[in-house]
Amino acid sequence: MTETKPAPTLLGAGVDRVDGLSKVRGEAPFPSDVTYPRLAHAALVRSTIAAGRISRITTRAAEEAPGVLAVITHQNMPRLERGPATLIGPSPVSPLQDDQVFHHGQYVAVVVAESLQQASAAAELVDVEYEVAAGVFDLDDPRGELRVDPWGSGARRGDVEGALASAEVTFEASYSTAANTNNPIGLFTTVAAWEGDTLTLHDSTQWTANVRTTIAALFGLPEESVRVHAPFLGGGFGAGLRVWPHAVIAAVAAQVTGRPVKLELTRPQMFTGIGYRPATEQTVRLGALRTGQLVALQHHATIAIGIVDENPEPVTLISQSAYACPNVDVRDDERRLNIPPPGPLRAPGAAQGTFALESALDELSYKLGMDPLELRLRNYAEVDAHSGLPWSSNALRDCYAVGAERFGWAQRNPEVGSMREDSWQIGYGVASLSYHWWQVRCEARATIGRDGTAFVRSAANDIGTGTRTVMTQLSAELLGLGLSDVRFDLGDSTMPWSPAAGGSGLTTSLGVAVDDACRSLRGKFLELAVQGPGSPLAGCSSDDVVVSGGRLHRKDDPGVGESYAEVLARHGLDELSADGLGAPPDPAQTGLALSPPFAAKFAEVRIDADLGILRVARLLTVVDAGRILNEKLARSQIVGGTIGGIGQALFEETSFDPGTGRIANATFGDYLIPVSADVGDVDVAFVGQPDPLTPVGTKGVGELGLPGTAAAIANAVYHATGRRLRSLPIAIEQLY
Amino acid sequence: MAPTPGFEYVRPSSVEDAVATVSGDPTAAYLAGGTTQLDLVLKDRVISPQRLVDITRLPLRGVTRTSDGLQVAAMTTMEELAADPTVTRELPLVREALLSGASTQLRNMATIGGNLLQRTRCRYFRDPTVAACNKRDPGSGCAAVTGHARMHAILGASEHCIASHASDLCVALVALDAVAHLQSMGGLSHVPLTEFYRVPGDRPDRETVLEHGELVTAIGIPLLPPGTRSSYLKVRDRASYEFALTSAAAALVVEHDVIRFARLALGGVGTVPWRAYEAEGILVGAPVSEGAFRAAAEAAVNDPFTVSGTEFKVELAKRTVVRVLQTVARNAS
Repeated sequence: MTETKPAPTLLGAGVDRVDGLSKVRGEAPFPSDVTYPRLAHAALVRSTIAAGRISRITTRAAEEAPGVLAVITHQNMPRLERGPATLIGPSPVSPLQDDQVFHHGQYVAVVVAESLQQASAAAELVDVEYEVAAGVFDLDDPRGELRVDPWGSGARRGDVEGALASAEVTFEASYSTAANTNNPIGLFTTVAAWEGDTLTLHDSTQWTANVRTTIAALFGLPEESVRVHAPFLGGGFGAGLRVWPHAVIAAVAAQVTGRPVKLELTRPQMFTGIGYRPATEQTVRLGALRTGQLVALQHHATIAIGIVDENPEPVTLISQSAYACPNVDVRDDERRLNIPPPGPLRAPGAAQGTFALESALDELSYKLGMDPLELRLRNYAEVDAHSGLPWSSNALRDCYAVGAERFGWAQRNPEVGSMREDSWQIGYGVASLSYHWWQVRCEARATIGRDGTAFVRSAANDIGTGTRTVMTQLSAELLGLGLSDVRFDLGDSTMPWSPAAGGSGLTTSLGVAVDDACRSLRGKFLELAVQGPGSPLAGCSSDDVVVSGGRLHRKDDPGVGESYAEVLARHGLDELSADGLGAPPDPAQTGLALSPPFAAKFAEVRIDADLGILRVARLLTVVDAGRILNEKLARSQIVGGTIGGIGQALFEETSFDPGTGRIANATFGDYLIPVSADVGDVDVAFVGQPDPLTPVGTKGVGELGLPGTAAAIANAVYHATGRRLRSLPIAIEQLY
Repeated sequence: MAPTPGFEYVRPSSVEDAVATVSGDPTAAYLAGGTTQLDLVLKDRVISPQRLVDITRLPLRGVTRTSDGLQVAAMTTMEELAADPTVTRELPLVREALLSGASTQLRNMATIGGNLLQRTRCRYFRDPTVAACNKRDPGSGCAAVTGHARMHAILGASEHCIASHASDLCVALVALDAVAHLQSMGGLSHVPLTEFYRVPGDRPDRETVLEHGELVTAIGIPLLPPGTRSSYLKVRDRASYEFALTSAAAALVVEHDVIRFARLALGGVGTVPWRAYEAEGILVGAPVSEGAFRAAAEAAVNDPFTVSGTEFKVELAKRTVVRVLQTVARNAS
């Protein structure tokens, strides 16, 4: 018997994006590129008050303006129910349903015209009068309704108060994080076109299937009558996980005018219409032994929420299982404010919660006189405290060790304010993190045709993360084909059902479905290959046959076999297809906790204390995300998340005007995100092993770069200066 | 009432033609003042001229060395001026101010005249849904004084207006006693930049001494005495591409550790580019010392008007002044 060498793996390698060239050439169709014959354009009118009601709305001048086809307000808008709840929470409230105003920037009318310019000009002619009520804008304003643990996500184990009372060392502090806006570069766009009772939508979404389900429900249509295209998205960061009001308005506008309608949000509208990370106030109480062992951990958060919308934002979830601690109490409360409805923004909840938890751990380490990294090691959680089950995989200790070595943690002088270079004070900080990703049911379909190439697809979305690319790699590997012989397509609601590109869950959910589809397809070919007259593999059992280089051949004699194309030809088939289903593993059967990805984050900051100038010199993230399908793309995710974390730490704050609730900085000139000069040396390393719970072995990487960045930076600032900053973003006025 | 959309676009063939066109039509405006003018007309809908007069093709480009300085035609770009040999050699404060502004891409397009006449970035001015703005609508009040005012001015400010002048370049130029060359129907005139901008008082809508139709055609930049050292320091949150929270331009001649000549101006804190004459008086004749620099800084940030959100700028501006003076003095000795 001859030993065959294993085929070189397509996975893990830094394969270039399969759609990179089409993007660079401007050929990739983003939603804002879509056009139709007789396309009409819509422009939105937004409320200029934050609370009250519309007392009069006059549309005549707008209706009479050149090119105007329709003006829709709450007075002539079709009545719509609220969209159905989804896997990630309730739908947004349907727009233009009554005269009530709950936030500044709420849509109060839409103008549809022949051109965008005509629509925008006429939108300014819509005259709205309001009865203004007092708005509530501050998280600590008791006039805003406080919802205690509205999602029932609070959790307790042990006796926190008792443990705090008897702890050798205790610590308590409050932290706050500002609202941050997603700010994808691509302006969210919906193009809606009706043909009889069928509706086609081209939409900026991270979840094609959800747009179809939601729109079908709102318009009382069977799901097959709604087709959603979302092959490309110019960034989402969570903003595309819900069907926001503008998409509904576009569909109504197309229905009312009988014309295809394009509705592209403006940059200021991107601040009020597609969600954003809500502000939080948090309190952390810790109790520990002198050895550093945690005996009590309490983490409570109050999170901003709109008046009528819902937004599950699991801020304290991370504190349930981050550390081994017998007595834990976490709770997320919400306060309703007259603010635009918040929504997911990269690492929702964890972005804010990790800042508080990891800052508090750092503070405790100084109180104990212990190296902050050592404190985390001593509280390493051997099991998932949430389920009590052992982790399916956890290389967090490797993250610490590899990170400390690579970063040069040993060069850190533990004394606060001791490290200097010229006028710069230098500090090192560390944070530990994980992200509660999710795996859900997902479907895919794989086909091989007469030309011997494969077509694999799912209704999933590639939001710029590289889903197309890694699924092409995975399919090619499983089918024994070269990358150029596999086409993976997505973003079309007629394809098999997929969950959202969000929550760090898609690569695993979809990967398992693709794995299943490709294995099934391979199995079908194997069955056919050994059958029929003229089969070179006749008499082989399917165990004797393997697939590589587009051929099915004998394991022990690669020369004996035939190609996919030959199998199809011999059986007179045009193509062969197989469906794949990915379902999450059941902890009751596996006895293992579905492990999150883990990481350690190290930061070096430099501070000119006289002028309050803070620069982040270095950031290192060491990641255990299970199997890495494409190191180049995974690294890019972590780097991008880290830069988002720099933004959260130093710059980003969505500011609401006191009294009016207007967003005071809804432009890129006023809302600061990091520029290249703000991003120093950003380093990434991967550790760990494939997670055993799925055949693909992946854990999510999408969110993981962001949480912990702000904590590592704030912890480094303390080490450099002795200033403990508990409020984000860290601004110059806090530093000098 | 919303501005009426739609306007006539005119491209005159000469400076005289341009000046005559705008001077003869109260509803006309130059398409000038940097990209901000286009923003204000088309995007933010703050102003609504009926006729936009495009001057970008007029022959107003280039830097000329004269007997006592530089003459910079108004359409010279920021990058061109920054690369000028005289600026590079003798006017580091101008070069540093230019290069700390905007981004390379913008500086390759943005002109010196446009930089002088850029409008404030105050978001209360730039959003017509905000009712109270004395600059946009005289007598309506100022929403910024009770709003998010971190980027706003503390010098030359009052409850009428706290909008800051955003230019870095102009801070260096007022320190140098640069002169604006103005073309009107009556001919050419010259106005020192220190008198070009109006401190708002109770009329924030009147920003400069320009009469309707007057066109800035050039800037004259006098050279500094031999042996002068100079620098521009900009303090901001981001490392690049952000307006100043505070900034300072300084030029010193130091002989035997005594300051013989001093120029100082502040940015990010003024409603206009802020020349600090009193501070200069304190510096001249004083020894190079922390004490003299601090005294100058105290004088430079005299009688600030602060609101919630701008208080921190008082001390930060002083420290900015001290730091830039330290830097220049170190280079000078």
